[in-house]
Amino acid sequence: MQDTLATLISALLAAGLYATMSYGLALIYGVLKVINLANAGVLMLGAYVTWWMWDAFHVDPLLAPIVVLPLFFLFGIVLERVAIRRVIEQEPIVSLLLLFGVWLILQNVAYAIWTGDTRSIETPFVEATFKLGGIQLAWPRVYVFVAGALTLAVLQLFLTKTQFGRAIRAVSQDREAARLAGIDVERIYAVAFGIGIALSAFAGSLLSLLFPFGPDFGGALQLKSFCVVVLGGLDSFVGVAFGAILLSLAEAFGLRWMPASLQNLISFVLLVVVLIAFPKGIAGIIRSLRRV
Amino acid sequence: MYRLIALGVAVFGFLIFPIAAPHAEYALDVLFLMFLYGAMATSWNVLGGFSGQVSFGHAAFLGIGAYATALLAAAGWPLWATFPAGGLLAALYSLLIGPPAFRLRGPYFAIATIGIGEATRLIALNWSSLTGGASGVTLSSAPPAAVQYYVSLGLCAATVGAAAWIKRSRFGYALAAVRSDPDAAETLGVNTTIAKTQALFISAFMLGVAGGAYAMHYLYVSPDSTFGFSTSISVVIMPIIGGIGTIFGPLLGAAIFTALREQLEANPFLAKYSLDLSVFGLLLCGIVLFEPRGLLGIFDRLVRRGAARAPKDSVTQ
Repeated sequence: MQDTLATLISALLAAGLYATMSYGLALIYGVLKVINLANAGVLMLGAYVTWWMWDAFHVDPLLAPIVVLPLFFLFGIVLERVAIRRVIEQEPIVSLLLLFGVWLILQNVAYAIWTGDTRSIETPFVEATFKLGGIQLAWPRVYVFVAGALTLAVLQLFLTKTQFGRAIRAVSQDREAARLAGIDVERIYAVAFGIGIALSAFAGSLLSLLFPFGPDFGGALQLKSFCVVVLGGLDSFVGVAFGAILLSLAEAFGLRWMPASLQNLISFVLLVVVLIAFPKGIAGIIRSLRRV
Repeated sequence: MYRLIALGVAVFGFLIFPIAAPHAEYALDVLFLMFLYGAMATSWNVLGGFSGQVSFGHAAFLGIGAYATALLAAAGWPLWATFPAGGLLAALYSLLIGPPAFRLRGPYFAIATIGIGEATRLIALNWSSLTGGASGVTLSSAPPAAVQYYVSLGLCAATVGAAAWIKRSRFGYALAAVRSDPDAAETLGVNTTIAKTQALFISAFMLGVAGGAYAMHYLYVSPDSTFGFSTSISVVIMPIIGGIGTIFGPLLGAAIFTALREQLEANPFLAKYSLDLSVFGLLLCGIVLFEPRGLLGIFDRLVRRGAARAPKDSVTQ
């Protein structure tokens, strides 16, 4: 019983992280209909910037998002203006390959600046734990979960209550109709891509509190974020959070029957099986969701 | 016609190279890799280029071929017999994953293949009783460098020949139809799932055999070196920068890839900053943005520009 409860709690905490690293992917796909294959690269760079600020300037990693969010928002906007814009209207595989190239370049940036060594952040907070009803919990995990939940709330408010957020939703539902309604679709593309990249970098910043990382870091997480998004449907961020909980529960309870080294297999298999069970891919899930 | 002559001269040159320069071990080694990469890139191109199904999981087939050769050679099989066995195993594996994966289209197929490739790597890593786990499998002896060179040259020639033949066959046209419009292809009577599965089967077989050559050369196979995502990345990059869907594009890509890899080992500046990633990333982005036909497309443009200018020059003279 105690065991099951502990597994459940650790799964829920992990879900906060999985959700945060998938919001950006879902937003970018929803608005631009582009799959961000560079997501892992952005996660990794977000983690590096957080680590570097702590290592070189002794900035508390909890404050790093103040720099990481605007920095990567700008980076996303520039990337959209320079490259992504040209391929939005082309076949989806073109943008996939483009972002794949971007991922390779981002990896190289990390190698060139910070070498291939594994980095980790060690502050008292990162190592702090507390007991709750006999279950040992790590503070950073709780923090990451709360950050993930807060992000969801802010995103949800932004998309439903602000003029700009509504415009983003309009473009994601029907870009032509949005254009006819007088929305500057090109501007929405750039801002949505910027927000998506900033969210992924923020997730990377959170990740750096939990795991050691290097330039190749994020490949497995990339697949997990695809899995989360496919599970939860790309239409709503609540769906993404739901997908994240589903994946982390599957992983946590799957581990009881299989060795820890196979943990990643769960998400890979889940990704492929869910994709195939919905032959029209993510769009099919969205359509079936809309009909409900 | 000139192309055929140039091709004949090149093949003849490569054929007599080990005899003409018996002590050029380094050059032989580089050429071996170039042919091996050429065969790998061409194999990927049969599926990714001809039928437009971009796979990021092709390392699975190379890995299966490499492990088959390593394990069967250890079990006492003659080396030449392990190659087709490895190819066949890889092709059979493709039958397992192809039909379900081909229910997905375009980017969804691509994403699913990343999952399939990584899942295959994890299985190889954890199935220690067969694969030796993370420590991998070591082969006892390699054939002489010249023999390896001819194996690799022959493999590359056979792969390219098969790809050229496929491209011009009825089957090749079916694949081209699948690439440009799967729905229209179905209407014209092409069973797209069967066509794609056949292309994957051939692609996997070729890559499995190439995996055998890999094992023969390095005498050591491990899950990360053969099944790793970086292997999948290389076989995608080479055909795309050379010219996706063409016959010589993958070879050109393989030559550039090999040259850059060698530069990286020789040049401490490049190695220190792992600049190969940037070079490939920038090439990939540039080609996707400006010339989807790859370097061959760029050459084609230059030649046409030259051809367009030439008559004018003759008029002014």
